[in-house]
Amino acid sequence: MNEAENKMTEAESLKLINEMIGKAKRSYITTGAASIVWGILIIFCSLLTWYQFYTNHFFDFDVWLLVFLAVIPQIYFSIKEKQKKKFVSHDERTMTYLWTTFGICIFVLSFYNSKFGSNEHSSTSLFMLMYGIPTFITGGVFKFKPMIFGGLICWVLSIASMYTDIAVDMLFMAACGLFAWLIPGIILWRRYKKQQTC
Amino acid sequence: MEQENFSPQESLQLIQSMITKTRRDIGDNSKHFLLWGWATFIACTAQFILKNIYGYPKHYLVWLIIIPASIISVYMGIKEGKKRDATTYIGESMKYLWMGMGISYFVLSFILSRMGWQTNVFPFFILLYGLGTFISGKLLQFKPLVFGGLSAFALAIGSTFFSYDYQMLFGAGAILISYIIPAYMLQRKNRSTTK
Repeated sequence: MNEAENKMTEAESLKLINEMIGKAKRSYITTGAASIVWGILIIFCSLLTWYQFYTNHFFDFDVWLLVFLAVIPQIYFSIKEKQKKKFVSHDERTMTYLWTTFGICIFVLSFYNSKFGSNEHSSTSLFMLMYGIPTFITGGVFKFKPMIFGGLICWVLSIASMYTDIAVDMLFMAACGLFAWLIPGIILWRRYKKQQTC
Repeated sequence: MEQENFSPQESLQLIQSMITKTRRDIGDNSKHFLLWGWATFIACTAQFILKNIYGYPKHYLVWLIIIPASIISVYMGIKEGKKRDATTYIGESMKYLWMGMGISYFVLSFILSRMGWQTNVFPFFILLYGLGTFISGKLLQFKPLVFGGLSAFALAIGSTFFSYDYQMLFGAGAILISYIIPAYMLQRKNRSTTK
C-alpha cells in the first residue's frame, strides 16, 4: 500500500471518527441482553422479598444472593462481545469503568449493611440511589433516553421509599429493575434484532 | 479551502487531542473541583473541631457553607458556558457524569436527612466522591484522579470501623486526596502543556 492510500482528508478523518462512534453505538445494542438479565433478576428478587413481607413467611436463605448469579451471564456476554469486536471505543471503555465502579460501590454498600446491621428500609433507598447513577450516565453518554428516564425513576423512587414501608420498597425496587434495565434492555434487543434483519 | 491530509496515525493523534482538549477544559474548570473540595474539607474539619474539641452542640451548622458554594458554582458554570466554544465527545460524557453525581448528592442528602445526620453518613458521601473522581480519572486518562477515587473507596470502607466523630476526618482526607490534590495537579499539568 503506498503512502497516498494511507492519507485521509480532514473530512474523511472526521467521518472515520463518526463511524467509530456509530459502530460503538451499534455494538452497544448487542449488550441489551445483559441489561435484560440484570433487570429480570432484580424484579424477581424484589417480588420474592415483597412476597415474604406480605405473607410474613420468610425463606431460610437470602434471595438477594441470586444477584451474584447475574455475574455469570454478565461475564459470558462481555467475553462474547469482546470476541466479536475489532476495536474498543472510548465510550465502551468508559462504560466498563462506570459499571465496574458501580459493582465496587454495591460491594461497599453491602459491606456497610452487613457491618451496621439491618436498617433494611434505608438500605433499599440507598441501593435504588446507586442503581440510578450508572443507568443515568450510560443513557446520557449514548444519548439513549429510556436509560436516562430509568435513572431518574430510580432516584425518584429512592426518595419516595423513605416514606413507605419495606414491603412497598420492594415493589419500588422491582419498578427500578423494570424501568432502568428490563425495558431499555428490550428496546436495545429489538433494535439489534431489527438491524440484523436489515 | 485547502484539504488537510491525515495519516491514520495523525487521525489517532486527533482523537488524543480531543482527550487533551477535554482535560484542558476540565483543568480550566478545576476551580469547580477546588471550590467544592475546599468547601467540603473546611466543613469536615470545622465540624470535627467544633464537636470534639469545643463540644459545640450545633456543630452541623458548618455545612451551611454548601449554600454559598452552590451559588458560586452555578454562577461560575453559567459564566463558563457562555465562554465555551465547542464541547468534545469526552466533555459530553463528563457533563452527564457530573450531572448524575450532582443529582445523587442531592438524593443522598435527602435520604440521610430522613435517616438522621447522626447516623454513619460519611461512608456514603466518601463512596460518591470516589465514584465521580475514579470515572473522571479514567475518562481523562489522568492517574491522580484514578488514584484519588480508589483511595476514597478504601477510606469509605475504613471509615466504617470508626465512630461518627472520626468519620469526619475520613471525609476530609477523602476530599483532599480525591478532589483537591488532583485538581491542583491537573491545573499545573495544563499550565505546563500550554506554555
